[in-house]
Amino acid sequence: MIVPYLAAILLALATVYSAIVSFRQKPEEERAGPSWLFPDRTNRPARIFLGIAMLILVIGLGAWFSANSRNSAPRSFRFLIPEGYRGWVRVEFEVPGMPPLPTEAGQTVIKIPPSGLLRTSSPEQYGWARDAYVFYSSAGVQSVPDSGPARLIWGKINGEETGASGKQKYEEFFVGSEQQYKDQIDQPKPKDSSRDSHSPAAIP
Amino acid sequence: MLPFVLYFVTAVVTGFHLYTLLSFAVYGVPVNLLELISLLGSFCLLIAAYLSLFRPHAAARLALLACLVMWSFYAPAIAEIVRTRLAKPAAASLFIGATVGATSKHSFLRPNRA
Repeated sequence: MIVPYLAAILLALATVYSAIVSFRQKPEEERAGPSWLFPDRTNRPARIFLGIAMLILVIGLGAWFSANSRNSAPRSFRFLIPEGYRGWVRVEFEVPGMPPLPTEAGQTVIKIPPSGLLRTSSPEQYGWARDAYVFYSSAGVQSVPDSGPARLIWGKINGEETGASGKQKYEEFFVGSEQQYKDQIDQPKPKDSSRDSHSPAAIP
Repeated sequence: MLPFVLYFVTAVVTGFHLYTLLSFAVYGVPVNLLELISLLGSFCLLIAAYLSLFRPHAAARLALLACLVMWSFYAPAIAEIVRTRLAKPAAASLFIGATVGATSKHSFLRPNRA
């Protein structure tokens, strides 16, 4: 939070200083030797040292920025949903003891079990990415439209909730037709004690 | 040495700030053209820092140009912050008053004897 203010203050200082140096007239007594405020050219060893140090710093910063942006670039998810599944799908992230999500061809694969709930130790990924949805069965996989008139993916949300086991990051979306989705959001979620409290509601 | 340090530190700090702002594009935030122009100014200031070791006067002119370019982003941003801080928000609702009271059946102070 301090960086914007620091940047503005330094910019103001640099502007004032460079303007003074650019437009000032050298006084007669100063012609004999430069002052610390308005120095003349630096000696050769200092120039070489500062030049190399600056080059190393710039290259280092560039490499750090580049590595940072590469690491923070989110991978898209590929959701594998059981064929014929209708209802809410929920993925819970950073659950200790659960298997991590595999990666295939640059995409993180999330294979949803028939219950509609998947827990993984992998972290949630934030950012701009295009997720893919497919139905899987013994016959193979089939793409699920997430836009257009035949859309089957609705109400995708991600969030964080605090429960008995601490903070829980999750992602949810609904699989079904528009009418099924509207029916689901109109009626309250069932409170069944025999069911896992975090388990999503599937339409029979 | 003073101009080198001043230009270099300013270039690094403003460059880092602008890089952070531009990196929000990953999350869908639209890129502001003034941020890109200002980042170019940061780079020019870095060059001015190195040039100040050889030719302080020419470096000062380049630094001044770079700073003016960078103000194209920072000046409107600071003006917006000041305007936001000084602005008096309009009341969205008006509190008229409430009548305080309780019945014997629904009192918070006495037990329910009904």
